[in-house]
Amino acid sequence: MSRFVLILRLAARDFRRRRGEAAMLLVVIAAATTALTLGLVLRGVTTQPYEQTRQLTAGPDAVATAFPYHSGLPSNPTGLAKVSPIAQAPDVRASSGPFPVAFPVMTAHGHTDAVLAEGRSSSAALVDQPKLTQGSWVRPGGVVVERSFADALGIHVGDQVILNGRKFHVAGIAVTAALPTSGLGFLEASSRWPNPGLVWLSKAAARSMATRAQPLGYILDVKLAQPAEAESFANRYTASGNYRNNTGTPYVMPWQAISQQDGLLMRTDQKILLIGSWLLGLLAVGSLAILVGGRMAEQRRRVGLLKAVGATPSFVASVLLAEYLGIALAAAALGLFLGRLVAPLLTSPSTAMLGTAGAPQFTVETAAIVLLAAVIVAGLATVVPALRAARTSTVDALADSSSPPKRRSWLVTRSARLPVSMLLAVRVGARRPRRVLLNVLSIAVTVSGIAALLFARATIAASQFGSDTSGSANFNQFDVGFVSKTAREDQVLLIVSILLVALAAVNAVFITRATVQDSQHTSAIMRALGVEPGQLTAGLSVAQVLPAFAGALIGIPGGFALFTLANQGGGASQPPAWWLIAVVAATVIVIAGLTSIPASWGARRPVAEILQAEAS
Amino acid sequence: MKQEVILALLAKEPSHGYQLRGRLSQALGPLGDVLNGGQVYVTLSRLEKAGLVFSERTPGLPDRPDRRMFELTALGQERVSEWLTEVSWPKPDLAEFHLKLIAAASAGLADPMAIIDAQRRDLLRRLREAQLAAIAEPRGSDGSLLLEGIVLRLQADLRWLEACQASWTVRRSQS
Amino acid sequence: MTAIDTELAIRARDLRKEYGSAEGLVRAVNGVNIDIARGEALAIMGPSGCGKSTLLHLLGGLDRASGGELWMRDLRLDQMNEKQLAQLRRSEIGFVFQAFHLMDELTARENVELPVLLAGRPQSEARRRATELLGEVGLSDRADHLPSALSGGQRQRVAIARALANEPIVVLADEPTGNLDSAATLDVLELFQRIHTAGQTLVIVTHDERIAATADRLITMRDGAFVDETVLRGGTVGPLGAYLGLEG
Repeated sequence: MSRFVLILRLAARDFRRRRGEAAMLLVVIAAATTALTLGLVLRGVTTQPYEQTRQLTAGPDAVATAFPYHSGLPSNPTGLAKVSPIAQAPDVRASSGPFPVAFPVMTAHGHTDAVLAEGRSSSAALVDQPKLTQGSWVRPGGVVVERSFADALGIHVGDQVILNGRKFHVAGIAVTAALPTSGLGFLEASSRWPNPGLVWLSKAAARSMATRAQPLGYILDVKLAQPAEAESFANRYTASGNYRNNTGTPYVMPWQAISQQDGLLMRTDQKILLIGSWLLGLLAVGSLAILVGGRMAEQRRRVGLLKAVGATPSFVASVLLAEYLGIALAAAALGLFLGRLVAPLLTSPSTAMLGTAGAPQFTVETAAIVLLAAVIVAGLATVVPALRAARTSTVDALADSSSPPKRRSWLVTRSARLPVSMLLAVRVGARRPRRVLLNVLSIAVTVSGIAALLFARATIAASQFGSDTSGSANFNQFDVGFVSKTAREDQVLLIVSILLVALAAVNAVFITRATVQDSQHTSAIMRALGVEPGQLTAGLSVAQVLPAFAGALIGIPGGFALFTLANQGGGASQPPAWWLIAVVAATVIVIAGLTSIPASWGARRPVAEILQAEAS
Repeated sequence: MKQEVILALLAKEPSHGYQLRGRLSQALGPLGDVLNGGQVYVTLSRLEKAGLVFSERTPGLPDRPDRRMFELTALGQERVSEWLTEVSWPKPDLAEFHLKLIAAASAGLADPMAIIDAQRRDLLRRLREAQLAAIAEPRGSDGSLLLEGIVLRLQADLRWLEACQASWTVRRSQS
Repeated sequence: MTAIDTELAIRARDLRKEYGSAEGLVRAVNGVNIDIARGEALAIMGPSGCGKSTLLHLLGGLDRASGGELWMRDLRLDQMNEKQLAQLRRSEIGFVFQAFHLMDELTARENVELPVLLAGRPQSEARRRATELLGEVGLSDRADHLPSALSGGQRQRVAIARALANEPIVVLADEPTGNLDSAATLDVLELFQRIHTAGQTLVIVTHDERIAATADRLITMRDGAFVDETVLRGGTVGPLGAYLGLEG
């Protein structure tokens, strides 16, 4: 028991003695675990919102439609006759509709184009009752607008919209699981109704908008005894015999197809998020490597001291573990909290879905994985120095003779011809080549991410004139889907970039700090020999900027490769060259700025103090 | 210098006086400079009178002390063996200086601190000479080893003076 | 105090260095006045914490004084900024440390070249100067060894060569023999003696009387101030042997 207390006390003392170090450790592990949390949360983002909406709106297992292909009677009785019997099919457990659907031209907020207007009664439907997120349900003179459509046009409850010349008030905003949201709807394969927005209104109003040229269509929502069999059900009742071929009447779409199409919407976002979460993970591993490596070097002397007073290697390991575990768990908790805070920002773009995504996807599993990762980090940080402690002699450890830097003759010789700052930079870098490599990789990963995002952005921009699902050209001036889609993707791009840049910045500062600490003695000697603080700051900073520049150069093709990989052969469009050049330039400038802070701190510490401490 | 030193130097083999001188000055290094030839011969003639050595004229050379060959007698041999087993060490006479300080202070005749300072300067100059001689001496020579001993003793004396100084500073401030 | 004797290498007036504040105030150097002539070898002694190292750091521009005036020849150190001090250290001051402070990953020659390169002079000149200096300190055959392959005394000789690389006004040594055995100490002292004879101004801080005694002048410090000054040069104390009683 007293042993346990002693371990805790030693851990706590060291902790208190080096609060700054502990805080740094906390920040990096927290940043890494935040990234990990986000990565985990993002994985479930495509399926779950649809699932939730389906539950909340009593979403249909299949949707049977009879949309007019020709002019005819405004009430389209043949269409109705074809779709109605499906409600009596043996597998059907419940149904709503058929609901009349009109295709009026809507004017709102200066936009004008055809919309899909579904007639509903004021009472709730058994199947597919859209869930209001704002306002109230349809009433005479009042329409309800589908949420992503409303978001895209900036429509709010109380606004006025004009349908075929008639004024309506917007009574409410709602979401549904019966239609893929915003844009690439199931009408998409039909060139007549590409990606329309969706509104609900009274049945009477819907009927009143039908004309001979534009007769009514019908929608029937059904619940099946076996929802999993919805696809075969759809094939059985679709005129063409295959629901993927939307050429006749009736046409039945299974919920899986809606979910998938809804998912397609998310696919580009998801690609970005996927790339982003990989990169965040990589960077997190990078920062931990720097940190744990740095800590291990520092712990050498302490381990030697403990051994000198008779501590066994296992006792030493316990002390280290107690210290790291405390920090790692605290950091993981912080990371989970931050991840939980940030995740909704990432997932909310899917505004058509009720799911506020962040909270419900934040499972016990996620928390467990993140905490486990933190424990593994603590374990690694303990095991390596503990093993080393067991191996190295106490005397060596006490003398703190960390492995002498390798000599690289050609670098020394070459650098002799360089200006002082560059000479310092090259020699400082040459002392710790592995750290330089880590630096290059960290920046390469970050820039790859940003470049991949730029390629994604360029590809999206290029595909605005075509669909990335079927490839068929169905350009529509009032293509609400794309309007909201690109806005959403921009937002996702931005957030992922910010996260990447933040983590990379933390890494850069850490690498510089580690380098400054490592080269403290060298720096002090150099200053005693008359190197100016400015030259030294520049040297230490350039030692980071050179690898950063190399990393940025690697990152551009890396980003292209990454995007191509994630896009699964979907092709990539080249963003403007100046974007890429700007990324490289910005990387160098940001790294120079970030590293000059710890570098100048290191360059201005009193030399006498350092040399004195070294001598004693 | 003790007579036994000359006696012991003869133990190896019979030697001329000048050879003895050479051996001495090699062993003493720069310290041997103070030796003059006469000193060695005066010692040798005393030893001869005491029956510890005998000398004979080297044929063909003029009969001068430095041309005579000196050799140990049996008595001399015995004396050397005896001397080698003796445990003797030069006694540093610190008591005299110590009492000087106390006397000066109690009688109020002089400031002990001034006495210490003067002594310290003198010792420092001696140390300087010894140290400079040691630096000039080839490493590993007999002379350099002796000089190191002198240097270390002087250093010890200086450290004791420092202790005196600290002690008298306290006494003065208390009185 | 503007008229500076051109024969002086260093001149300090009421030089002060304080740490902390109020009750925790430490006067590491407390009103020191000093004139060091060109070509003089000066030793500074005193117990640990007497401020001798701090004074040396002030003289070398490694640390900034809290007050007072400090001149090196006609250059006024106390009014210089960090950059100017760095330039001064580069060209006018050579440091020798107890812990040698050589660069581990550079060979002896490269260590000596370093100050020349840092002063912005060409590689060829640096190489020439380093070779010459390593010859002077007797390490020509060790020029391409790393410090780890050299003995303590050899490392310190390399450090001295490095200190001399830019022909400084003054060489400042802080316990230069503190880490050396007596044979290596003699080598280093001999080297100091030689560069002193060649006209180099030397300031050596030490707690070893043997080192201090080789200087021209010895200053003793206590509590940040000078308490004694002994001129050692000139004036003989008689033959060495006299001290042994050999005449007797």
